[in-house]
Amino acid sequence: MSSPDLLGAMFAEFARLGLVSFGGANLAEMERVLVLQRHWISPQVLANGFALGQVMPGPNLLAVTHYGYAIAGWSGAAVATAAFYGPTAFLSALVAALWYRNRRHPWAVALRNSLLPFGAGVMLASLLVLWRSSVHHWVGAVLATLAFALLWKTRVNAALVIAAAALIGAVIGL
Amino acid sequence: MTDTALARIQGGISPGALFQVFMGVALVGIGGGLPAHARRALVARGWMTDEEFAEVFTLAQLTPGPNAVNLAAMVGVRLSGKTGAVLAVAGILLPGLLTMLAASWVTLGLRDGLPDWLQSALHGAACAAIGVLLTAAIPVVKVGLGIRGGWLIALLTWLALGVLRLDLLPVLLILLGVGLLIHHPRKPEGKPL
Repeated sequence: MSSPDLLGAMFAEFARLGLVSFGGANLAEMERVLVLQRHWISPQVLANGFALGQVMPGPNLLAVTHYGYAIAGWSGAAVATAAFYGPTAFLSALVAALWYRNRRHPWAVALRNSLLPFGAGVMLASLLVLWRSSVHHWVGAVLATLAFALLWKTRVNAALVIAAAALIGAVIGL
Repeated sequence: MTDTALARIQGGISPGALFQVFMGVALVGIGGGLPAHARRALVARGWMTDEEFAEVFTLAQLTPGPNAVNLAAMVGVRLSGKTGAVLAVAGILLPGLLTMLAASWVTLGLRDGLPDWLQSALHGAACAAIGVLLTAAIPVVKVGLGIRGGWLIALLTWLALGVLRLDLLPVLLILLGVGLLIHHPRKPEGKPL
């Protein structure tokens, strides 16, 4: 299953997915590539991995490790994780070093003003995709709304909210 | 911004210390809020001022990739050079990586797929995750819409990627071009950030 060809293709795709995530989770592009185009994972694995990522310590997008494992086992998990995080971390460090030298340059300001609204659109697209893949029933919509209200209005830990929603889901058989 | 905090500790932060701090940030950051935890850890140690943190945080949102990991790379390189960047990234990834591998091994290794109750639980968790994503999205959207012409770019991005499901890279290039047309510097000195 985990032939060098597959792992190479995975490295390229996950590196690209990391490099095109602006402002956070780019679930829309992940679904397009991993589910619709490559047929590497099912919509169910996509949604499950994203949910698991929410209750892990660290970045939520550790879902990529889950997707990598689903595609090609241990080596798939390693390749997906390294490809997704490595190049963007390298690029970030490079940008930081350059930024501190040129941060007042007019073109740096123009670039910032152009990228920030794009990042906003990406976040909104990701929300739409996650909604479509996870909410099949009005109970799901209620859970999503309740979770948002709790997190926005109180200081309760997000992992607790997710765990409570998981419990509700298990009990009522969502 | 002044580099007072940086000057104060110049040369005093080892890559190993960064590894430990970012691993701690990951461990308390179950369920998100990593930037907030990182801010607290760095400011409390006097490694960065609030202003310095705000700048590096904005920068981490501008670069592609997961924000928290970018933030670790940027703080790492700023405070402790290349090795600092590598170890900060390793620190923030390691705890989650190990637990996710264990979870994947269990959930994906089941011969008949997930039992119904577990699938239902994950389903519930996924719905709540929408709430988490929304709380993370609101500040990003606010900043994006606060920029001149921002609502148009954000709306077009959402339509292209969310509704029409177009390939991201061409969409980015076109809308980045539109953004630069709107915001290109007119005077040589420009406006300071």
